[in-house]
Amino acid sequence: MPVFSSTEELQEVMFTLWNEMKGNPEIAEKLISSRLIVQFQYKDPHGLLTVDCLDGKEMKIIVGKTELKPVIEMSMKADVAHEFWLGKVNVPMALMMGKIVSKGPTPKALALLPVIKPAYSIYPKVWELKGKNQRVG
Amino acid sequence: MRLGVFQSPTKVLFGEGTISGIGDEISQFGASKPLLVTDKVLLEKGVLEPVLRSLDESGFGKLPIFSDVPPDSDVECVRQAAAFARQAKADLVIACGGGSVIDTAKVLNIGLSLPGDLLEYEGINSFSQALKPLIAVPTTAGTGSEMSAVAMIMDKANGKKLIFGSRYLYADLAILDPNLLCSLPPRLTAGTGMDALTHCLEAYVSLGANVIADALCLDAMALIFQNLKLATTNGDDPEARANTLLASAMAGMAFTNTGVGIVHALAHTIGGAFGTHHGLTNAVFLPYGMNFNMPSSYERYARCWRHLCSLDPGASGAKYGISAKLVMEADFEKDARSLVKAVSDLADSCSIPKRLRDLGVPELADDKILELAAVAGTDPAIMFNPQEASIEDLSNLIREAY
Repeated sequence: MPVFSSTEELQEVMFTLWNEMKGNPEIAEKLISSRLIVQFQYKDPHGLLTVDCLDGKEMKIIVGKTELKPVIEMSMKADVAHEFWLGKVNVPMALMMGKIVSKGPTPKALALLPVIKPAYSIYPKVWELKGKNQRVG
Repeated sequence: MRLGVFQSPTKVLFGEGTISGIGDEISQFGASKPLLVTDKVLLEKGVLEPVLRSLDESGFGKLPIFSDVPPDSDVECVRQAAAFARQAKADLVIACGGGSVIDTAKVLNIGLSLPGDLLEYEGINSFSQALKPLIAVPTTAGTGSEMSAVAMIMDKANGKKLIFGSRYLYADLAILDPNLLCSLPPRLTAGTGMDALTHCLEAYVSLGANVIADALCLDAMALIFQNLKLATTNGDDPEARANTLLASAMAGMAFTNTGVGIVHALAHTIGGAFGTHHGLTNAVFLPYGMNFNMPSSYERYARCWRHLCSLDPGASGAKYGISAKLVMEADFEKDARSLVKAVSDLADSCSIPKRLRDLGVPELADDKILELAAVAGTDPAIMFNPQEASIEDLSNLIREAY
């Protein structure tokens, strides 16, 4: 059974998580300096989230469809994303195994992995806030 | 059991004279308009004579040839090649050359087979359609590109390297004919051979290592230890050439399934900044990278060493400076150190430069070293390294290797 019960739940969790990262200067500053637009495309359930740092000043988080043209597109099952944020996915291995599709300059995406690592500890708290701790147990 | 993945869909023909079967192979793909991708040096030096003769005898003598591939292929070159291939209505691609030629052929095949611009397909797993058949005929023994699912192309205009990775980039057929390598100069033979050895040793200790790849790494490594010096000093020796070619392909099968590590990350960085030869740069960094990985990987290195010695217990003492009895009694760490020394000795015996400065890298200021270390720290190769490396670690390795 998928971790996320619906597109709404998936997008809400991911938006809350990225919003927390936006509020964390240690993470946000490095993401903003990447000047990338990264789009996450999820399936089972379907979901779409775009993180826009193109202007180098601000981090914008867009849920759902957007006209923005991403520099990097990362596609995966929502369950893979969930495992990732729990720190259980080795991204290069997942790419090799075909569990993640990366379109665009993959090294730039991989370079951001150490930057977002501190968010692994934020993710369970997002579920906690929703009162659904069992999903990360 | 640890999760893993292993794919290797490429049919391999190997041995002296196997290139003579290329016509039959093309016909088996149902192709009638093959395109040959190569470089000018190979064409002018007559290295491709056996290939062209075989194609001629099979009725493909007048095939279109794209021979403008430079040593580090660029996206513009690939675009030109793809346009040439489309114009020729090619229905199969033959890549005959070193890593740059084979990678060019892989990416041009995207442009030939799929709609839109090549750059739309940059990334990993970014397309899911089969391409035209690809036959890879390596004329060096090192990159393993004939067996890998990845191609790297420079985007010189924007100063970056583009990575294309997909299961559809595997060659359908690899023809490993040692006769095509006989005129490869000693320095290139040694450098590319050390590239293959680096593939073995990094794949074997990689975070993505798995038992299938392990077996390939161990035997490929042994073939390189046993044959690289001879292939370098006596390029006409078909057995030594055949064995290094086979080892390179086996190492390619392994690393495309496991990833590589810190040595490749550093070599990519230094090569990108100073244009040093990839294999030679790997050779310089390899002992340093192995020493760095020692805390996490000494048991694995020791297993490599024991495998090397077990193949010829009687002679191994004489060959590697240690007796068979001692091999069995030695502890893991000691055996691992013996392997590092054997790697350095092999490089020495092939007259490979020991230092980055010997490869033409200029003296580096501390801030430049830090900058290079930061680049190496984000190279995809390092994501598979068994030992986590900080910018300071990478800086130290650059300093040590200088």
